[in-house]
Amino acid sequence: MNGSHQNEDADSAFAFEGNWQDFAKIALPNLLLTIVTLGVYRFWATTRERRYLWSRTRFVDENLEWAGTGMELFFGFVMVFVLFGIPYFGLSFVAQALVARGYESLGIALSAVAALAIFYLLGVARFRALRYRLSRTRWRGIRGGSNSNGFLFGLSYMWKTALGWLPLGLLLPWSMTSLWNERWNRMSFGPFAFEADARSGNVFARFLLFYLSPLVFFIGGMVMAAMGMLAGYGIGGEGGAQIGGIIGMVGLILFFYLGLGLIAVAFYAKYYREVVGATRWRDLGFHFEASSLDWVKLLLGDALLVVLTFGIGFVFLSYRHWKFFVTHLDAHGEILLDELTQSQTRTARHGEGLLDAFDMGAI
Amino acid sequence: MLSTWARSEPMEENFSLAAEWYDGTNALRHSGVLRWDGADRLTLDASGMETQFDVADLQFAENRPDQIVYRRETVPDFRLILPAELPPGLAARLPAESNYGAWIDRLGLGRSVAAFAVVSAAAVALFLTAPDWLGPRIPASWEREIGEAMIGDFGGRICHTPAGDAALAKLLDKVDPAEEKVRAGIANMDMVNAVALPGGQVLLFDGLVQQAETPEELAGVLGHEVGHVRERHVMTALLRQFGLSILLAGADSGVTNSVFGLAAMGYSREAEREADSYARARMRESRISPLGAAGFFERMAEQHGDREEEGSAVLGWLASHPSAGERAEAYRDAAREGADYPPVLSEAEFAALKSMCEDDPDVEEFGFF
Repeated sequence: MNGSHQNEDADSAFAFEGNWQDFAKIALPNLLLTIVTLGVYRFWATTRERRYLWSRTRFVDENLEWAGTGMELFFGFVMVFVLFGIPYFGLSFVAQALVARGYESLGIALSAVAALAIFYLLGVARFRALRYRLSRTRWRGIRGGSNSNGFLFGLSYMWKTALGWLPLGLLLPWSMTSLWNERWNRMSFGPFAFEADARSGNVFARFLLFYLSPLVFFIGGMVMAAMGMLAGYGIGGEGGAQIGGIIGMVGLILFFYLGLGLIAVAFYAKYYREVVGATRWRDLGFHFEASSLDWVKLLLGDALLVVLTFGIGFVFLSYRHWKFFVTHLDAHGEILLDELTQSQTRTARHGEGLLDAFDMGAI
Repeated sequence: MLSTWARSEPMEENFSLAAEWYDGTNALRHSGVLRWDGADRLTLDASGMETQFDVADLQFAENRPDQIVYRRETVPDFRLILPAELPPGLAARLPAESNYGAWIDRLGLGRSVAAFAVVSAAAVALFLTAPDWLGPRIPASWEREIGEAMIGDFGGRICHTPAGDAALAKLLDKVDPAEEKVRAGIANMDMVNAVALPGGQVLLFDGLVQQAETPEELAGVLGHEVGHVRERHVMTALLRQFGLSILLAGADSGVTNSVFGLAAMGYSREAEREADSYARARMRESRISPLGAAGFFERMAEQHGDREEEGSAVLGWLASHPSAGERAEAYRDAAREGADYPPVLSEAEFAALKSMCEDDPDVEEFGFF
């Protein structure tokens, strides 16, 4: 019973064992129940989906378990509505009333305060969502968590994001990696903390590509359009030049939407490999090896699935994303099961209310 | 009694089967046997180390392919993993699996969906119709307080001169015969518009007053806004807007959008027609010519095209009205042939209204920034 697990490079430490047919039996009734309850069931639906996805995810020699409940997610949502939604509503009302009474600047200042509060809570929400997910994940009966409540992280989130945008967005890679590190360094699983030291330098080249490409594409597009016009003129005179120019413009627009999208994906793929690769837990290092092409395939698949099923396919997106995440995730190193004891972190009794309210993902 | 019944079962029912478990304190997997005494007790035995507990302590956790996972209520994070194929005697004693959630598991999926659908449809119907029947039932004093909270004194932007106030009071008296009058004012805003605000307050904008060619036109517009107040349209519209913003907040599960909903309030066309017919009835009683109002709407139709007029998005409660041409016709039809209408205001009174904002030294300019 006592011993260590050394996993070979040959097969991944993480494996996904589910299939979409089984998932459909969960997701489609979920959709039906969510519709007839006017959305209230979505908390239980989320829980049922996660229970399936976690239980079909194997780490080394045991499957994960999702121990969260729909009721706690529901309470989380209600709590956020009462603690933040109603005060925010009241604040907006007062701001409007002030403007109507002639105190325009005071009203606008109050609205700005409300917006700032939302910005802060967004950061807190990102932290607490990760904490919630770790604390509801079981592996061999052991869970994760954090002793931080995320309120400090909310402040970091504010100033780092603001600083990231300040020099024309050039510091965004730094703010993204630094916030990843800060978040994961406060998380733990069992008795051991996670450690993350992702570096923005490693993703900066990709970011510059993304950053400078609009300019490059614009010039390239203009050249294309001009060449198209010339070619068109050669073939069909004045009319030909017009058609050629139009084709060139279409090319330019396609470049902007598809090209920029592709480069954004390329940056994100690199960023994700960097941050996951720089995250460790005890003697375990993590790897994420999805290439830009893998991400493109995932996103194109998503789009096709949703379009071809007239939207119903969107219920499978969580399945696809989780499968993508797990199959490309790997870990290497050693786990000493003897010293892997239960987490002593406090567990919040409510779910990821804030995050749910802002409708964001955790990882 | 359940236990008596269980003991009366033949004793061959007790048996042991292979099991795996985690104790919740560390990550070590225990393999051994689960023994059942045929009644309430379970024993886990891993090479001589025994743990005993009641069947009732177990809770269903989840299904895996070929396995069922149970938890223990008294031991946090304890996990017992059993094969999915359990002897029927034991399976009957173990907690049932939960799938959709307690209520739905008990009722069955089909019946739950039907029940939820009925309740939801009723809730939606109630929600959609509530403003129409609830609005008029909310006491006018509450509405006044809501209006006070939202607008106050409009930031000192309402024009006052002794002569202008007297002229406005005279005009109001003709279209609002009730004992307790609505509060009417001319706001220092250069827009051709008029509004009925929450709390029984009616404002004509100075832009509209300047544009009016006869006092009868102003009587028509004032009567229309008073109609909104008297028919309780303001409260209905407020409630509808409030409900809409809640619905939006729920649907996109975001608190951020609800505030934008407040900016798009308006009256239904039906409410507009009601307010118009209120105005015409009062004008008939006070022997005011409806031709002035008809002329006003004809000019509106010429200037803005004969279309639905959008209320200003800046102040949420400005109205969207039926087409101006249609309304002009309705006013024209209301005029009695050959009738002799006395002028509603004297030349001097009308002039006092027109110069009211210019002559008031204390009035604030209107601007949002």
